[in-house]
Amino acid sequence: MTIGSQVKQSLANMKAIHATLQQLALTSTNEEAQRAFHEAMLETEQMIAALKGRISTLEREEPQYKGM
Amino acid sequence: MPAWLEVAIRSICILIGLFIITKLLGKKQLSKLSFFEYIVGITIGDIAGSMSMDLDIRLTEGITSILIWSLFPVAISIISLRSKKFRDFVEGNSTVFIKNGKILEDNLKKEKYTIDELLEQLRKKDVFRVADVEFATLEANGDLSILLKRDKQPLTIGDVQKYVPEEKEPQTVIMDGEILDEPLATARLNRGWLKKQLDQMGVAVENVFLAQVDSYGQLTVDLYDDRIQLPEPQQKQLLLASMKKAEADFELFSLQTNDAEAKQMYEQQAKQMQQLIQKLQPFLM
Repeated sequence: MTIGSQVKQSLANMKAIHATLQQLALTSTNEEAQRAFHEAMLETEQMIAALKGRISTLEREEPQYKGM
Repeated sequence: MPAWLEVAIRSICILIGLFIITKLLGKKQLSKLSFFEYIVGITIGDIAGSMSMDLDIRLTEGITSILIWSLFPVAISIISLRSKKFRDFVEGNSTVFIKNGKILEDNLKKEKYTIDELLEQLRKKDVFRVADVEFATLEANGDLSILLKRDKQPLTIGDVQKYVPEEKEPQTVIMDGEILDEPLATARLNRGWLKKQLDQMGVAVENVFLAQVDSYGQLTVDLYDDRIQLPEPQQKQLLLASMKKAEADFELFSLQTNDAEAKQMYEQQAKQMQQLIQKLQPFLM
C-alpha cells in the first residue's frame, strides 16, 4: 500500500468522524454536548481540508497513483 | 323503598363522594402521612362505612360530619402553605440527634428516643458505627436523616472525574408498538428518523414493546420477542475509537514523511486530534 492510499484511508476515516459528530450535534438534547460536538465538527473540517491539500501534493509527486 | 336498595344507593353515592374527597386532599397524603392525617383518613373511612350501612343515620348528619372531617385538613394545609409558624406548629420541627459527630443526649430524651432505637434507625440506613455520622436529625414524620462524614460518603462520579456533562432524561418514544409523537418532538426527532433507526436494527415498529431515546439521540429498544438479541448502541464508542485511530494515523504519517512541511502539518494535526479527544471524552464515555 502506498502512502498516498494510506492518507486517503485516513481522509475517509476523518470524514466518518465528521459525519458522526454532525449527527451527534443534531440529535443531542443537551446543549453543552451539542456545542462540544459542533465545535469538534468544525475542527475536523479544517483537518479534512489540510489532509486534502496533502493528498493533492502527493498525487502531483506520484501521478501514477492518482485517483486510488 | 326496600332497605337493600337504600343501602346500595347510599354506598354508591358515598363511594363517589369519597373519591372526590381523596382527589381534593391531594397526592401528598399518600406518600407522607402525618399522624394527624392518618387519623383523619381512618375516621373519614369509618364515618363513610357506617353511613352506608346504618340506615338510622340520616344522610344530612353523615355528610356534615364527613365534610368537616375532610375540609379541616384541607384548610390546615392551605394555611400551612402560607405561614411558616403555623406549619411548624402543625407538622412539628425536626430534632437534631447527632451534631459534629456527637450524640445530643438531651434531644434524644426530649423525643423519648432510647439509644437502642437510635442505633436501630442508623443500622436501617446501613450505618453501624456512630462515629461515621457527622449529622443526624429526626424528621417531623419520624424518619431519621443522616449525613455521613466526608470520608465515609459513597463515591460519586464527580469525585473521580473533574468535569461530568449533564445528562437529560430519556424520552420514551414507542410504547406497545405505537409511536408516541410528543416525546419524540421533545427529543427534537421525528418519525422518519425513528423509522430509519428501526430499519438499521432490522425491527418493525409493531414488534417493539418499548423504545427510549437518551440525550445523545441513541435509541434502545425492548422487543416483544425476548429471544432476539439486539446490540447496544455503540455510536459513541466507535467515534472515540476512530478518533484515536486518526490520531495514530497522523503520528505515523509524520514519522514516515521526509517532507519537512508535511511533517509539521501531520504533527500539528495529531496534536489537534489529541486535544479533541480530550475535550470530547466526557461526552463519549
